[in-house]
Amino acid sequence: MKIDKLIDSGYYWIDDAARRSALSLARKLSRRNFLSRLGMMLAGAAAFPLLPVSRSFAQSAVQEIGDPATCEYWRYCAMSGSLCACCGGSFSSCPPGTQPSPISWVGTCRNPVDGRDYLMSYNDCCGKSSCSRCGCHRTERDKPVYYNGNSSTVYWCFGVEDTSYNCTVSLVLGYSDE
Amino acid sequence: MRLMLTLALGLTLVCPLAVAQLAPEQISVETMPAPGNNWFIAKSGNGARIFDAETGTMLGQLSLSDWTPAVTKWDPRKEFYAAESYFARGVHGQRTDLVTIYDYDNLSPVAEVIIPNHMARLAVRGHLALLNNGRHLVVHNMNPGHSVSIVDVQDRVFVYEISTPGCAVNMPVGEKDFLQICGDGTLQLIQLDLSGFEENRVRSEVFFSVQDDAVFDRVARTANGWLLVTHAGQLFEVSTAGSTINIGEGWNIPDAEGWRPGGRSEFLSVLQDKALLYIAMHEGGVDTHHERGTEIWVIDLATHRLLRRLEMEEPVATLIVTQEQNPKLIVGAFGDGGTLVYDALTFRLERSIVAPGAQMFEDF
Repeated sequence: MKIDKLIDSGYYWIDDAARRSALSLARKLSRRNFLSRLGMMLAGAAAFPLLPVSRSFAQSAVQEIGDPATCEYWRYCAMSGSLCACCGGSFSSCPPGTQPSPISWVGTCRNPVDGRDYLMSYNDCCGKSSCSRCGCHRTERDKPVYYNGNSSTVYWCFGVEDTSYNCTVSLVLGYSDE
Repeated sequence: MRLMLTLALGLTLVCPLAVAQLAPEQISVETMPAPGNNWFIAKSGNGARIFDAETGTMLGQLSLSDWTPAVTKWDPRKEFYAAESYFARGVHGQRTDLVTIYDYDNLSPVAEVIIPNHMARLAVRGHLALLNNGRHLVVHNMNPGHSVSIVDVQDRVFVYEISTPGCAVNMPVGEKDFLQICGDGTLQLIQLDLSGFEENRVRSEVFFSVQDDAVFDRVARTANGWLLVTHAGQLFEVSTAGSTINIGEGWNIPDAEGWRPGGRSEFLSVLQDKALLYIAMHEGGVDTHHERGTEIWVIDLATHRLLRRLEMEEPVATLIVTQEQNPKLIVGAFGDGGTLVYDALTFRLERSIVAPGAQMFEDF
């Protein structure tokens, strides 16, 4: 019983403190002051993309070229499997009702738009029978199954409820400026 | 008119009598005949068909799971062994991995041993290895770390799972030992005790670089050990003596400038008593290791000489040479040409066999 009372009084204290601080601000600041500060915030938000940090974020958006439903698409340099872009998903999304595997193999692909090498993660979409459309098998820097982190041969439906294989997506993890 | 009527009546009475004299046929089921020369198994995605390469006849079929890596056999017990993986509802539901034991006469399952649901579900021959004692079966796991499940196929029990980080492709040596290829450029020898538990583990020196020129995950058994080949075409003969791993001096496939070995299934095989290598080759450079061969090269492992280049009409999917007095070279392709049977010594094409979906062959 005592505990309930203590909790109630704690809530009351918080409410009261908030009310008092709001009243205090209202007494000190005019409405015009509030509007001027709001205007500064809006102007600042507009200027934010011009700052260096913001520019570096903008550059990290990957520029795409080509058709993701074809094996020649630049992201697929170490791909092996059915392209999810042909199976109801996209190059980075799984088809409806499938489960994306959190574990993947990796490759390094050069984007022809900016000439940069990107670290790619190839994740299998799992839990349905094989899509079997747009089969794609490329082997740039591919390694044998005993070195499976770089092996496109392996089915990577691990860490999911149903480990049957449906199709594969390709996600950019980062880029190399070497 | 009367004559015609009599004749018609006579025929209607005679015909049923003639039919009645023919005994109706009874359906029957064959059993497997005694093994013949040059039989082989053609494993597909969900089964294994047994053929006679000398006649082209199909003799029977094993039904296997879609995920079975390979199938093998042990003659003294007249049994086949396959690692299998099933989902309760086809592609979803409870997963069950197991080793299934098939009898010889009916090619039917007669026993099964449940194993951990970690089986590497890839058609790699080295993912299934019956050790030379005929008792311990090594099933490769990927979860995604590498390990192996040891099954005692004689007593029909799962022994245990051995962690083998970074190492795969299991190659039986000695009586109850096996070698593996490791990503750090070494070989690993695992020696089991009588019960199938790990007794000893040995690592070789580094002899290749997985980044610069990796050893393939497809290997061929030789008279004394195993033959390994790198993506660029360097050959290594490896063997063991007790707990010592012997790695021969590497040598290049002769006269192979601009050519490389490769394929996506088992693309090399050795005729053991004559030390002849049959290997699928293609024209190409770095990272073309999964390209199917346009030619099969025959190389003498004793003299390191290239003996023959066999041009193929269709790229080679997989191949094997039978270990017989009169050996056959069996070549699989995915085109319309079917599975081709050559005399392995004269290289004469003898026949083509329809073996649907053949992805890997096993000598019988």
